[in-house]
Amino acid sequence: MKNDAEPGRFQFPAWTNLIRPLLAVVLVTVPAYLVVLVWLGGSPKTTDVGYRPEQPVPFSHALHAGQLGMDCRYCHTTVERAAFAAVPPTQTCMNCHKQVRSASPRLLPVRESYASGLPIPWVKVHDLPDYTYFDHSAHVRAGVGCASCHGRVDTMEVVQQVQPLSMGWCLDCHRNPDPHLRPPELVTAMDWVAPGDPAEYGRRLREAAGIKPSVDCWTCHR
Amino acid sequence: MGLGADGMNASAGGRRVATRYWRSLQELVDSPQFRKRMEEEFPGLAAELDNPATAATRRSFLKVMAASLALAGLTACRWPKERIMPFAYRPEGYVPGVPQNFATALELGGAALGVLVKSVDGRPIKIEGNPLHPSSLGAATAWAQAAVLELYDPERSTTLVRREGGQRRVPTWDDFLAYAGAQMAAFESRRGRGFAVLSEATSSPTVQGLRDALLTRLPEARWYEFEPVSRDAERTGLAQVYGTPLRARFHMHRAQVIVALDSDLLYGHPEALRHAREWGLARRGEDGAMPRLHAAEALLSVTGAAADHRLALPAGSIAALLLQIAAEVARGGVALPTGVGSLSPFAAGSPEADFAARAARDLLRAGQRGLVVVGPGQPADVHAVVAALNDALGAVGWTVTYVADPDPGRGPHLEAIGELAAGLAEGSVEALWVLGGNPAWDAPAELEFAQRLAACQQTLHLSLYDNETSRLCRWHLPRAHALESWGDVRAWDGTVSVVQPLIEPLYGGRTPAEVLAALLGESAFSAYDLTRRSFAARWGSGEDPWRQALSDGVVKGTAWSALAPRLSVEAVAEAAARLAVPPARGRELVLYADGKVYDGRFANSGWLQELPDPITTLTWDNAATLAPEDAKELGVKHGEVVRLTHAGRSVEAPVCVMPGQARGVVGLALGYGRQAGGSVAAGAGVNAYPLRTAAAPHVLAGAEVQRTGRRRLLATAQEHHVIDTLGMAERGRRVGSLIREASLSEYQRYPEFAKNPAWTNARPLWRKIQFKGEHQWGMAIDLSACIGCGACTIACQAENNIPVVGRKQVANGREMHWIRVDRYFAGDPSDPQVRFQPMPCQHCENAPCEAVCPVAATLHSEEGLNQMVYNRCVGTRYCSNNCPYKVRRFNFFNNFAKVPATTRMVFNPEVTVRGRGVMEKCTFCIQRIEAGKIAAKNQRRPLRDGEIVPACAQTCPTKAIVFGDLKDPDSEVSRLHRHPRAYGILEELFTKPRTLYLAKLTNPADVAGEGEASS
Repeated sequence: MKNDAEPGRFQFPAWTNLIRPLLAVVLVTVPAYLVVLVWLGGSPKTTDVGYRPEQPVPFSHALHAGQLGMDCRYCHTTVERAAFAAVPPTQTCMNCHKQVRSASPRLLPVRESYASGLPIPWVKVHDLPDYTYFDHSAHVRAGVGCASCHGRVDTMEVVQQVQPLSMGWCLDCHRNPDPHLRPPELVTAMDWVAPGDPAEYGRRLREAAGIKPSVDCWTCHR
Repeated sequence: MGLGADGMNASAGGRRVATRYWRSLQELVDSPQFRKRMEEEFPGLAAELDNPATAATRRSFLKVMAASLALAGLTACRWPKERIMPFAYRPEGYVPGVPQNFATALELGGAALGVLVKSVDGRPIKIEGNPLHPSSLGAATAWAQAAVLELYDPERSTTLVRREGGQRRVPTWDDFLAYAGAQMAAFESRRGRGFAVLSEATSSPTVQGLRDALLTRLPEARWYEFEPVSRDAERTGLAQVYGTPLRARFHMHRAQVIVALDSDLLYGHPEALRHAREWGLARRGEDGAMPRLHAAEALLSVTGAAADHRLALPAGSIAALLLQIAAEVARGGVALPTGVGSLSPFAAGSPEADFAARAARDLLRAGQRGLVVVGPGQPADVHAVVAALNDALGAVGWTVTYVADPDPGRGPHLEAIGELAAGLAEGSVEALWVLGGNPAWDAPAELEFAQRLAACQQTLHLSLYDNETSRLCRWHLPRAHALESWGDVRAWDGTVSVVQPLIEPLYGGRTPAEVLAALLGESAFSAYDLTRRSFAARWGSGEDPWRQALSDGVVKGTAWSALAPRLSVEAVAEAAARLAVPPARGRELVLYADGKVYDGRFANSGWLQELPDPITTLTWDNAATLAPEDAKELGVKHGEVVRLTHAGRSVEAPVCVMPGQARGVVGLALGYGRQAGGSVAAGAGVNAYPLRTAAAPHVLAGAEVQRTGRRRLLATAQEHHVIDTLGMAERGRRVGSLIREASLSEYQRYPEFAKNPAWTNARPLWRKIQFKGEHQWGMAIDLSACIGCGACTIACQAENNIPVVGRKQVANGREMHWIRVDRYFAGDPSDPQVRFQPMPCQHCENAPCEAVCPVAATLHSEEGLNQMVYNRCVGTRYCSNNCPYKVRRFNFFNNFAKVPATTRMVFNPEVTVRGRGVMEKCTFCIQRIEAGKIAAKNQRRPLRDGEIVPACAQTCPTKAIVFGDLKDPDSEVSRLHRHPRAYGILEELFTKPRTLYLAKLTNPADVAGEGEASS
């Protein structure tokens, strides 16, 4: 009733009636949105899964580990002995590449490294915070397969992170390792699937080997 | 019944040992300052909170806390890209990230300690003792642990320096080689006349071989050896009576009674680690037998603190005391040379006479199992008489053995430097090469060595730092650190070790052997070639002996054999006659090598400067120590600066009032007050060398002390971390329960004296926590064995990346050491007993800290460890407030921001480096525990007892600290936890600590005078 007002007296326009319900909606949805944004956006599942940095050398695991069938441990030699599953030194590459594709332009950085003695500056894909200490040998010896954490690396042209590697994700397995266990000699069999029920199969392995993953803080956070 | 008003040491039989423990004189007096300190958990924080400049009102404080809580959750953003840099060629057998251990040796004052060095990714990060080495037996001293920090000191000399005509140039090693060649040609034309080499003491066979070659080629050249601190007096004294210089070796495990006169046998001796080990093992009272130690000294020392009977008397009176003891021994029927054993300088009934009578009684009973030791600060004649006494007791060949001195032709150090200074002054020395050492700074003051050195035209100095001496020399050559060098050294007993480098010389330094080889024109300008050649010539050529020596760290069978020398009775009588000189009047000033920085060479080491001195608990300073009565007489208080004057020379130093120091004695440590020692050394302490002369290098009679009215803040660690126990009124009663002790005879009658049945039988209000871990970790610390040396503190600092905070913060109580050694006095301030107690985190089962953390950053593991999780901590500090042991350390500042890049190489990659605002504390070396567990699991075998050793336990010379699995009933720590002497500290608070202490046993002679035979 726009013309019902007395002259000189201010009357709020009708559309202001919508402010209060709109404000109510905004005050509910905006915080909810922000929370969901931080929760999902800040989660390692968002920030870390799918991380696929470009490497200085276009090394293809799909070719070497998949098509050629090289075992993970041919290059990552220390995975059963030490905390780090070391990226191989250049001489490991040159074991073959002295003869195989010895003039390929894509292998130039490798040849340069071999000639100069300087390292190839690989980019770390599976990067944990500095205050956590992960030990490969303990997991590999217990029977956790490479693919359980690193995914099907043997199908990756460029390595990408497929698991969030967050603390919650680690704890999920530490609290219930059975579905992720396999006989230790099969850790590098990328396409291995447990016969029958993985949880039951893993339970028997766990009990036989006496595997008791710790959930104490200091196991990883030293 | 059983709990005396003065503490725990009243035995159930009703006989009381009234022991009231106190930490410092302020506490004893219960001064208002001390009370105020006690009331604030963090001294100084209240002042900061009230300071308007910081505007830290309560409200903003809470706001900041809330904000940090909120920020604690936002840690899930992606972090910067990280690179992996593998080798191009990986060395064979090398596993990235897995440490390798190499055996090498570190030399101090001509005697080596064998060490094992842990090296990660090609850089050394941690030093441990080599169990196969006779001088270390698996332990390491504080300075040996700190050698790895010295290696990475960015203020080490990085280039050659040439100072000529006011100009400073940077030559290369090739320039030096050319210079050396020219010099050698010039010297040879003169047969070496006018050329002298001044070297620090070295036992290296390679260097000695090169020296001999040099002196053969240049017959008129001179080689001088100088160390400001050495055992030359003992060497000369033994030479007097045995005809040739000898080296004495003491065997504590064979001794029933030890009389130490001004001797710091357990701490300040090249074989101190071995002495401490033998001592620590013998003092457990297991078979009802324990050796007894009588100590007479001017200044309180670690050995004096460990003694069963201690006498404080001026160092100048030690000779008289020795004669008194000898007289008592002679009266007991032992035949002594004339002049020894006839004088009794002290009146009957005086404390000195009583001490002497008691010591002599024990010596007579012990016979060949007795041992008299005198310190290197006493004159040679005293050593001569002591040698005679040991000989008469039959101890030679048993508790003391003699080996031939490796260099009998060498004159004493003080004579050598005097001769050299005279040569420089009169011009007969025209060219001087100084290898190591710092003579311009630490030579006797009357020689004015710095001026003489500056006046000489052809001087050269090889040293780690471009220090006071280098700046006066024409050439300065950077020296390779021991951890960067090839070489060989001998231990005090002659055992040879090959020194192998852990890393390429960081700054292109060279060793003394290489410099000599360059001068000699040898083709091999490489320490490796020189060492290899020398080794092959002496101990077998070929790969096998060499590799065995490198692997073991020792060359087997190279220890010198003990001699059976013949004593010259006439020489002893002459020495004794010279002893009968009445002591001078006035105060006595005693100068001594500091336990941390030694003669000053380690002054730039942050770890060593911040380590509290075992006796004074001073950090970052030295001080003029005075007995309490002397301080009162002079009207000086702790921290007031006084002027010390002797023979016309004076220095000013702050006063540190020390209970237990002899009346009329002022003590001052050497090694501080460096002018060109580096930024860490700058401002630390006062230089005592200006007072030191060749005639009186240790005991300066007739000194004066004057007040100046100024004050200096002394950062001591003795008033922090006082355990607050149920209020001030209860404190006096409870503090007595921290140290529990009894004499050996009391222990034999009442083995359970340390237990407190009131608390052991306490019933808890809540359910007992069940720990489900496979292992249950625990620790036991034997107070009978701990001598308070502080090596555990430095080992922990090296292993766990503990920062250095500096003097101001130490004065605020913010030093970061995870394990500290508390020092307690008991009894009369002028003659107290001293007790040491290492205090790491107790890993309480009912930890008070865990209950109060608002963010669950500290919680308990299934294996019984109290875990501190740095990334959860928000810095409330409630946990350290609640900790009754005050073992939690908070990072008030970002201590790592200012750590130089080179020094960061020393960090242990297995331990998180903590930033600002997080709490930290002893972890029982969780990184070692995890490494041990994973290794055992990977090898599919159970963990063995003794496989996991925390850093403190590994380096402890006396093996006082034991760590292990309490779930294993056969482990050493389980056995010690079941021991009758075991007790927990503050167990009445029901914290249920996993670290138990074993009560201290003493072995005093019975008051009646007979005393049980102690073995």
